[in-house]
Amino acid sequence: MICERVRERIPECLTGSLDHAARESLLAHLETCPACRAELADLNAVWRGLGSLPEPEPDPAMRGRFLEVLEAYQAGRASGPGRQVMNLPHKWQAGLAFALLLVGVCLGRYVAEPRGASPDVARLQGQVESLRQLVTLSLLQEQSPSSRLRGVTYSYQMAQPDAQVEQALLYAVNHDSNVNVRLSAVDALEKYAANPRIRRALADAVPVQDSPLVQIALVDLLVQLNDKEAAPALRKLAQDAQADNQVRQHAAWAIQRMEVSQ
Amino acid sequence: MDDEQVMLDVRAGDVGKLELLFDRHHRALFRYFLHLTANRAVSEDLVQEVFFRILKYRHTYQPGTRFCAWMFQVGRHVHVDHAVRHKAEVAMPERGWDVGSGELPPDRQAQNRQETALLRRALAAMPPEKREVIVMSRFLDLKYEEIASVLKCETGAVKVRVYRALRELSDRFFALCGERAS
Repeated sequence: MICERVRERIPECLTGSLDHAARESLLAHLETCPACRAELADLNAVWRGLGSLPEPEPDPAMRGRFLEVLEAYQAGRASGPGRQVMNLPHKWQAGLAFALLLVGVCLGRYVAEPRGASPDVARLQGQVESLRQLVTLSLLQEQSPSSRLRGVTYSYQMAQPDAQVEQALLYAVNHDSNVNVRLSAVDALEKYAANPRIRRALADAVPVQDSPLVQIALVDLLVQLNDKEAAPALRKLAQDAQADNQVRQHAAWAIQRMEVSQ
Repeated sequence: MDDEQVMLDVRAGDVGKLELLFDRHHRALFRYFLHLTANRAVSEDLVQEVFFRILKYRHTYQPGTRFCAWMFQVGRHVHVDHAVRHKAEVAMPERGWDVGSGELPPDRQAQNRQETALLRRALAAMPPEKREVIVMSRFLDLKYEEIASVLKCETGAVKVRVYRALRELSDRFFALCGERAS
């Protein structure tokens, strides 16, 4: 038993983090115990060997990539999601520009002509909305996670909730391989949460997620929506021993919040 | 300014200061992921993802929490998500990181290289959870209290885990040395 306790302290001894009394006690034991001395010698050889392993450096370009993300994030915060159109592929930018030009021409005619031309405006606005839907759906199907993220961000620009985009976002929440895309899709679905079917789907997604962060984001959204019908699922999650500890705590917190707001 | 104060500023909206935390900690995170994944490109992507999540979830940082411990908690989640997506753990490559041998004679340099390769092989063969505590205690210089905070367990449990992991690494290393000698 004494040997076992002494050996558990060997790593601390090797790092020099033992206090004076503990170190003296360990050394006194080593003087009388050849087995523990041998153990210390073996572990010391390995510990020193680990210290001599080379420490690889990351690619210096990594810093530049991080700064790009940070700057894009700051720019996005400063100007809102509308700026994301600048990141679209050229063909979509050209398409959008053309559609917006048509809207402008039509609006000009609408102002110049007597009332009654409004169906044209409505039709062209509908075309722009369709184009936005097309861009969003196309980007969400891209292979690259950053393109799919842009697709999620682009969905914010749609004036009206769209069934196909809604389904694509739900699919992203449940099946996208990239956690950041899933997290962003959760945020984007807030706009669709007036629909009880979407709230159900969000609640159903919580227990099947393998990422604690996505689970927490979903729970936060359900709390924000004050979705009382999600309470049983959250209660179950709070008691699920298999779930991540933080997620369980968060689910318990969510239930409390919902009860307080009743 | 210490990490915790910088993170509080980031949390309050001064997100540009995240650059400072990136500069201080991206190398340690990169090495942590490299020991777990054995893949440079993947490790660099995971570092980016950690800082992306810190940015996105900055409001969840609690005052009084050691930044390093919180960052590695985020890092662990990122690695778990990655491991779920790429089921099989990848073995550490035997070659790849050359050891600088300085002024040692050629035969000693050769022996050092051989021992380093065997130690790296032994480390790569460890179960991920044991490799992780060795990486944290040896390469990242985290204190036991900090490791306990990252792993969400008691400090006493960390002492036992580090000892057992080091013991197993030692067994594996000397077994490989024995195989090579025979």
